[in-house]
Amino acid sequence: MPTVDIDDKRVEVEEGATLLEAAKKAGVWIPTLCHHPAVSSQATCRICMVELDRGEWTQLVTACNYPVRRDLVVRVSSPAAVKARRGVMELLLARAPGNEVLTALARRMGVEGTPWPTVSNAQRDCILCGLCTAVCEEVIGKSAISLSGRGAARALSTPFRLPSEDCIACGACAAVCPVGTIQIRIHRQEGEIEISPLKTRAKLRTCERCGQDIASVPVTAEAIDRFGGDWEKLRRIAGMCPECRRKTTAGVLGRAVGKT
Amino acid sequence: MIVASGKRIGSPSDLAGERDRLCKLRGSGDKGVLVCVGTGCAARGSRRIHELFVEAARETGLAVEAVKCVGCHGFCERGPIVVVQPGEILYQRVEEPDVPEIVRETLLGGRVLERLLYEDSATGRKAQTAEQIPFYRAQQRIVLASNGVIDPKSIDEYIAADGYAALAKALSAMTPQQVLEEVEASGLRGRGGGGFPTGRKWRSCRKAPGSPKYVICNGDEGDPGAFMDRSIMEANPHSILEGMAIGAYAIGASRGYIYVRNEYPLAVEHLGWAIEQARQAGLLGESILGSGFGFDIRINRGGGAFVCGESTALMASLEGRPGEPRAKYVHTVESGLWEKPTNLNNAETWANVPPIIARGADWFAAIGTEGSKGTKVFSLVGEVVNTGLVEVPMGITLRRIIEEIGGGVKNDKAFKAVQTGGPSGGCIPAKHLDARVDFDELTKLGSMMGSGGMIVMNEDTCMVNVARYFLNFLREESCGKCTPCREGLAQMLEILDRITHGDGRVGDVEKLEALADLLAGTALCALGKTAANPVLSTIRYFREEYDAHINQRRCPAKECRGLFRYQIDEEACKACGICRKACPVDAIAGEKKVPHVIDQDACTLCGTCFDKCPFNAVLKI
Amino acid sequence: MGRNMVETTEEDRLIERIVARYDGEVGMLISMMQDLQAECGYLPADQLRRLAKALDVPLTRLYSVAMFYASFSLAPKGLHEVTLCVGTVCHLKGAGKISEMIREEFDVEPGGTTPDGLFSFQPVNCVGACAMAPVIIVDGTYHDGVTVEQAREMLIGLPSEADAESEAQT
Repeated sequence: MPTVDIDDKRVEVEEGATLLEAAKKAGVWIPTLCHHPAVSSQATCRICMVELDRGEWTQLVTACNYPVRRDLVVRVSSPAAVKARRGVMELLLARAPGNEVLTALARRMGVEGTPWPTVSNAQRDCILCGLCTAVCEEVIGKSAISLSGRGAARALSTPFRLPSEDCIACGACAAVCPVGTIQIRIHRQEGEIEISPLKTRAKLRTCERCGQDIASVPVTAEAIDRFGGDWEKLRRIAGMCPECRRKTTAGVLGRAVGKT
Repeated sequence: MIVASGKRIGSPSDLAGERDRLCKLRGSGDKGVLVCVGTGCAARGSRRIHELFVEAARETGLAVEAVKCVGCHGFCERGPIVVVQPGEILYQRVEEPDVPEIVRETLLGGRVLERLLYEDSATGRKAQTAEQIPFYRAQQRIVLASNGVIDPKSIDEYIAADGYAALAKALSAMTPQQVLEEVEASGLRGRGGGGFPTGRKWRSCRKAPGSPKYVICNGDEGDPGAFMDRSIMEANPHSILEGMAIGAYAIGASRGYIYVRNEYPLAVEHLGWAIEQARQAGLLGESILGSGFGFDIRINRGGGAFVCGESTALMASLEGRPGEPRAKYVHTVESGLWEKPTNLNNAETWANVPPIIARGADWFAAIGTEGSKGTKVFSLVGEVVNTGLVEVPMGITLRRIIEEIGGGVKNDKAFKAVQTGGPSGGCIPAKHLDARVDFDELTKLGSMMGSGGMIVMNEDTCMVNVARYFLNFLREESCGKCTPCREGLAQMLEILDRITHGDGRVGDVEKLEALADLLAGTALCALGKTAANPVLSTIRYFREEYDAHINQRRCPAKECRGLFRYQIDEEACKACGICRKACPVDAIAGEKKVPHVIDQDACTLCGTCFDKCPFNAVLKI
Repeated sequence: MGRNMVETTEEDRLIERIVARYDGEVGMLISMMQDLQAECGYLPADQLRRLAKALDVPLTRLYSVAMFYASFSLAPKGLHEVTLCVGTVCHLKGAGKISEMIREEFDVEPGGTTPDGLFSFQPVNCVGACAMAPVIIVDGTYHDGVTVEQAREMLIGLPSEADAESEAQT
């Protein structure tokens, strides 16, 4: 098993583990934004830059996807690495000024403010990390959204900028979005769930017993589809909120022993 | 007209026999007309000229086969180029009305038409053949040897010129290991800009576990100003097929792809014909030349994205995805196309392989310098007298290329800089003209050899605007995936926009340098990492221009609108009044016979008077 | 522009033909989309939906590809196609001025089409004819060494649909 020296710590990791995983094991903090354990490494934000010491030369690499294949010496706190991460954060702060998550992360990194003006047009602070599209593709399997366009025109979008035909309004994208660009909105009156800014609106399924929100209708339909069952059979699971599900199950059990 | 016997060649000895047969068919005294139909000459109507020659041939009883299309000579500025045989008389700037005269006088009458010959502007001497033209004479053409000589749509002509003999030799007399060793010993380094040792790359790919393995030809040639690969792909497509087949044999690959950028339709066409003919002849496909080694190639067109010249982006494109680069911490020779071991080389690199195998590593290594073997094709363009493709041994000086071969700067203007290496490169000033051109020397000077583009700039070029141009180019072409490239380029462009519009601030240069440093360290791919080179090199060598723009709101080269003044030259002014009438703010005063004068306070520096004056009497000061 | 009005079943058959041409290989998606655009003049959304279904590939992939590569157009193109090289040498020789003229006088943005649908304007980064700079390509025909004036005249002279029809009638 290869050894990784991270600043003043040393750990052993499995071959193929990333520098980020090694750092975690060693208890060394490296900031991340576009990294999420549920999906593959995007390595787009570049906030996790660290310095590899190769003896004759050094190299700045992203920790989230650099694979450990032999013994390595990594410097997280070297001046070059700190400077690189600061530079990246300053660019992000210029792109999404006032964003609370970025500001808090910057502070933790020791970065106060940015020298750069805002020159890009970020859609609600979107930093184009790619986590939303990754989770939709890799975990949910719908690929309803993508980052399309090149360079400065790159933006989160749905095909032809119309409400997505494939989105099931599950909210996974909102869950992984690091900066709050994607938001779930419940429209009580209409009984709808909206994923903003994707323009997706779907009917909300509510618990048959207590009326609580469960999930969007398309999500439950998808679940039924994937579990190959029919609605009647799955009603007990998909038609009730967890609380009611528990109560119902308890009731069923109780009847079985003659207590209810 | 496609010329091919369509016969299947079943073995190396069959190939040799075919070559002998084809060579006997052609006599050295045969009459012939070779019309260049490369993109450059075609842009000036050479296809129509070819048609006219074919008609004329029919009318005069000449064999129609004697009129041939050939590919790019590389001397595009003098196009359309027509070579008449025997004698290899080279006519330049041929126009349609010239055709009957050429047929009558030169083809049938054996007389040379002086007015169509190349004239050396320095000596006034006329050159009859290519050999006599300094532009060609100083070159050592290995990769471009058959350009302008063979018909790109004829596999027969390629075979007659020893085509596929190297492949036959590799398959019949060498093991894959021996082919690898030969390429390693030659010292061949990638010609696309990276300069990575080719043999070493092949070896890594051969060693990597996994199958199938792929070889790819990078024909994306995105550097503006560079058209070497276009020329090779159009004029000698078989050389690339042969090189790839040899490489595939050495590596153990069975599939090849040629990725040609969308903007090169003629290259796509010629490569397509070549593949068809090679398949028919059994030089591609199963058991090539009866050796048991099978290999085939497919062409993919790009969709219009400079970043697809980057190897991982190119591979993404081949997988039907947007051309976004990925990290190269695991090299593509291990995990590339479809996560299989993939060897990607530039078109010019592949074209060097058959000569190396045919003539040996020692022969190749004897050309060039210690670290950079062989020749390199450069595209010498811009403000130089002779623009075109130049193939010379590595190690030649910039001065020799620009002055001796290029004929110096056009129109008696002063040389200011030569931009090399495309958007990843930099500008080199006059004081470094004696630098030797190879992979390493130009990098020391803050530029790079890159894929071979050399753009000559004269005294009227604003170097700050050059930096701005490249930055704008890269910002449009950036895939936008990673923060530093996407945001950093936008920030740098904002600064350069301000500077070139007279709104620069003290500290701007330092900001540019800081951003450049950040991009170089943190960008995901080579596009982002090298994006700041044009800016850095112009700051390094032309700092005074940046300072003038920022501190004095003045553009010394008088290019940036609003940052220089206009003044009417009293002596040249003919008082025609055109400028006075055209001026949108009535800032010009004058009457008939009285030289006009610009009121500098009222002038908005729009430049209309300069554009409109028929006597060039409006000066930029 | 009869090309853009196609019967439904013919559209299905077009997609089938294109997919079959490349044995349904997803890696050839860009080539398929290029063929589709060559047939239809642009990439109609419905055809992209059909193609996505035929290949069993998410529609977002096709949309991303269409938005990434400069040669693809999601909107119908003009009657004529005007490509201007804005590579370094062409730029140094005045392509920038030609681009400005086209935008101002014909009211068309790079990548777009003139309001009257006469031509689509696409600047490209180098066509490899640097010795002939500046280069403008109109409907596939290259023109070299053009001045702003020459470019303007060429574009003004482009035949409109009305011109083509009256030509056909004579």
